[in-house]
Amino acid sequence: MNGAPGPAGPRRWRPAACAAVLLGGLALLGPMLAPYPPDAQDLMRVMEPPSASHWLGTDLVGRDVLARVLAGAPHSLGLALVCVVLAAATGMTLGMVAANAGPTLRTAILRLADLMLACPGLLLALLFAGFLGGGIWPMLIGLKLSLWPHYARMAEAIATGALRENHVEAARLAAFPERTILVRHVLPPVLRGVMPLATLGAGQAIMSISALGFLGLGLKPPTPEWGAMINELMPFLAEGFVQVAAPCAMIVLSVLVLAVAGRSMGGSSDAREHG
Amino acid sequence: MPASTAEAALTIRNLWIRDREGGVLVRNVSLSLPRGGVLTLIGETGSGKSLIAQALFGMLPEGLKVEGTIHLAGQPPIPAGDARQLAALWRSTLALVPQEPARAFDPTMTVGRQMALAGMGEGEVASSLRTFDLPEAVGRAYPFALSGGMAQRVLVAWALGLGSPVVVADEPTKGLDADRVTQAVSALAALARAGRSLLVITHDRRVAEDLPGTLAILRDGEIVEQGESTAVLAAPVSDYARTWLDADPRHWPRCLRCCDMSSLALSAHGLAFAWPGQAPLFRAVDLHLPRGGVLAVAGPSGSGKSTLGDILLGIRRPSAGSVEWSGVDIVADPSAIRPRRQRYQKLHQDPASTFVPHLPLARQFLALREVRPGLAIEREMPPLLERLKVRPSLLGRRPGEISGGEAQRLALARILLLDPVAIVADEPTSRLDPVVQRETMSLLRSIVDQRGLGLVLIGHDRAMLRAIADDRLELGIAERAASSSRLA
Amino acid sequence: MTASATSLAGPLARLVLGRLGQALATAALLATLCFAFVHALPGDLALRVAAARVGDERVTTQTADRIRRSEGLDRPLVFQYLHWMATLARGDLGRSLVTGQPVAGELARHGAFTLRLGLAGWLLSYAIALPLGIAAGLRPGRWLDRATTALAVTLASLPSFLVGLGLVSLFALTLRWLPPAGFGTTAHMVLPALTLALSLVALSIPVIRNAVVEVRSAFYMTYARVRGLSAAAALRHHGLRNAAIPVVTFAALQFAYVMDGFVVIETLFNYPGMGELLVTALIARDVPVIVGAGLTLGFAFALVSLAADLARVWLDPRRLREGRP
Repeated sequence: MNGAPGPAGPRRWRPAACAAVLLGGLALLGPMLAPYPPDAQDLMRVMEPPSASHWLGTDLVGRDVLARVLAGAPHSLGLALVCVVLAAATGMTLGMVAANAGPTLRTAILRLADLMLACPGLLLALLFAGFLGGGIWPMLIGLKLSLWPHYARMAEAIATGALRENHVEAARLAAFPERTILVRHVLPPVLRGVMPLATLGAGQAIMSISALGFLGLGLKPPTPEWGAMINELMPFLAEGFVQVAAPCAMIVLSVLVLAVAGRSMGGSSDAREHG
Repeated sequence: MPASTAEAALTIRNLWIRDREGGVLVRNVSLSLPRGGVLTLIGETGSGKSLIAQALFGMLPEGLKVEGTIHLAGQPPIPAGDARQLAALWRSTLALVPQEPARAFDPTMTVGRQMALAGMGEGEVASSLRTFDLPEAVGRAYPFALSGGMAQRVLVAWALGLGSPVVVADEPTKGLDADRVTQAVSALAALARAGRSLLVITHDRRVAEDLPGTLAILRDGEIVEQGESTAVLAAPVSDYARTWLDADPRHWPRCLRCCDMSSLALSAHGLAFAWPGQAPLFRAVDLHLPRGGVLAVAGPSGSGKSTLGDILLGIRRPSAGSVEWSGVDIVADPSAIRPRRQRYQKLHQDPASTFVPHLPLARQFLALREVRPGLAIEREMPPLLERLKVRPSLLGRRPGEISGGEAQRLALARILLLDPVAIVADEPTSRLDPVVQRETMSLLRSIVDQRGLGLVLIGHDRAMLRAIADDRLELGIAERAASSSRLA
Repeated sequence: MTASATSLAGPLARLVLGRLGQALATAALLATLCFAFVHALPGDLALRVAAARVGDERVTTQTADRIRRSEGLDRPLVFQYLHWMATLARGDLGRSLVTGQPVAGELARHGAFTLRLGLAGWLLSYAIALPLGIAAGLRPGRWLDRATTALAVTLASLPSFLVGLGLVSLFALTLRWLPPAGFGTTAHMVLPALTLALSLVALSIPVIRNAVVEVRSAFYMTYARVRGLSAAAALRHHGLRNAAIPVVTFAALQFAYVMDGFVVIETLFNYPGMGELLVTALIARDVPVIVGAGLTLGFAFALVSLAADLARVWLDPRRLREGRP
């Protein structure tokens, strides 16, 4: 009737590790793999279809689309990953602090998280990006601000539960220092809970960044950001389907990889594992 | 021996249950429940007793294979594998009092409305509740508002109201404390008096003793003994039944010794505790625990036994009073706890939970070197494990992969490596089967004697406490005060 | 019944007041953020306001000074902040720097469009997700379940602007059934509403499916059958309400998510709603409109959360008892 919970074996983490290596590698090494400089224009070869020299064709000022898609990886992908890692780290730290802290600090942190959760996520990012101009930093801050409360709430709930466990009490009675208890007893379950959420969150962040780029509120066109590229090439959909489809496919594939990895860790929408 | 089919309300013949790989879970069980009678099927965890109940209702988990016949009075015999035919008997012939009452109710609907949905009129609901001394307000309550014992009695009342001639009660006392067990059993007895034929499945011998009728003892899927309840309990024939009955704390030899009151491991004076804004759980508690002595703390659930234990261990502060660790008051001077921390330890009710779930046990034992620098764990472990009868190979496993008895002995081993002066054991065997409980308790007692440490034993099984303890402290719930009584 | 009703009234009032308080706190936070942004922008604020009022080429130091005095921009920041908050608290959102129209009027006009689009997309999404999710949940593990799960994962991996682009290129540019952008007729609503619906479906299908699966396997359902209820009766009496708890909660929250989605979708389809207003204002740096739209959206979000809480309490009496929604 009650299936054994089963230890969190290494196998469940493998898809996530693969996804991290794949996407992280792309974000770091993408620009080096590009066959041309992403901003090298060639006005004689505008909107050319795919060919041996330009695998994905050229855009409206003759830039190589493959080069731009690869060079865009650090912006579209890397930014999203950095964003989520920062947000998850902030959220986890604050959540674990809240779980350990006295009632005043705990309430303050949780209230702040609630307050931030009560704002629609993209709205904050929009406000930041809109007011401060569409640079990397406003977007990063805006997205991070809208993401950390999720991680903080989750980390707080898991850490509070873990701190009530008998093994924590046994460790305290054996006079293990609090730091050891946090690292050995509290951090692993918190990580197990936050990782799937962060994986799915990274997908959301990729979509948000490209949406901002597409709206013209994110990174501005000369930058090879995928959303901005789509915005730029949209009017020429009829002449250059491949050129538009390439950044679209990059976005969808990245998000899909993250979604599959997140689900394999049990991060589907039913995050109620402890039944 | 099974009564003849003609007068039986329910007959199970040659029931076999096998798992996917063909392993036998229930072996050739035949049972007979006389009309208007009571049949108690008793066995340890994992003996297959609940599978028999599930088979009877055609509700076995998927993948299990079942053989045999089930014969209910007035019906043709039904092959046990025919879930559809068995389901057709639900309510008309068979009623179930399920275990875990909390899961049996729809959480979003009042109890009375759920009862009414099963076709009971308002008057019937009220009268069946009254039969079991349940206030009428219970009908208007949501399930979450019921206590475990009350929910259990509502389920019994419900089974009466449904009118099915045969009622199967699956573990009706699981998770209830001693007083509630008595209530639940008398509710079942009332059901039998109302003319229902009752099959009770339990691990709890108190249920068997308090119900009339037939008793069948199940072990590893096989019936080892069957007969008139009182006769089986008084003079068991099979070896297993004898060992099992001897494991009852009331049959343990009393431990009678005198302790040296001059060297106290632990003492407390005038202890009181209250949750903020509530009446005190207990007040004016005095206790003295000599080295080599066992002090029992008894009382119903909610009387503050575990809280008292935590106060004695210095992990919760009392509202008033003092706790002395070898003569040092740790309430007045909390900084005195730190240097003596490892000398005062706790054995938990759920021993497996005291180990980190994701780490192998060996690593968790080796980690003790971080907090006891001088500990030569490789040298001290083997004799200790041998003393506790733990196979060393278990250390390669994770906490979820060992049995409850093994986990409790390993938890004890870890505590002993810290060289304690006193141990507070909070119902350390309440989740173990009787035979294992007896082994663990006598082991604990002998270690206390041998090492000269003090043991505070918290429990609600008075018979067991009486058998093992030198002295007893009773926490009451009704009078909201504690009374200390010296055992004669 | 009366006894339980009175005992629940206290927590209910606390819940409502708490949520309203949270809405106000959110609005205050957003207003403060906006104030900080306005003052953190590089350059002289008075000059910028002057430029917006009289046009870039006619700005002089005198006009800037006059505005600085009349708008109180020379007073300490604390006073300016309090003044700003007090003005907002009176519901005075000012005038658009671009059109000169009162912001409140603009918000109302665009808000009505957004509400229409949001409602249509939301209803459409449940018209799609409910049958699919329930069908998948009733037979978990079968092909329909796998197919809907795959569909949901794929849809969840598509940014809404891509879904919109796909729909436009298919229905508007290739098949020419529907207009690609604009507003006014029902035909104009179809593509934006469908885009919104598809991005919502991605998240609601798994929620509905899991709710159905969980309720189906709950012991109280089996026990209801053992008590003699038919499968249909057990589902009707015990299944629907319990399955509805997570679904209703999520549906209400999703209505709030609609607000995230429509910013993108309205811009894509050139649909004159709040999102389009906000993006236009952001590009034009039209501060009063940005502030007004931000506050309205934040407040609406909080009100929807309140509605979600109330729905959940109505369905699940345990909530109030636990003291947290």
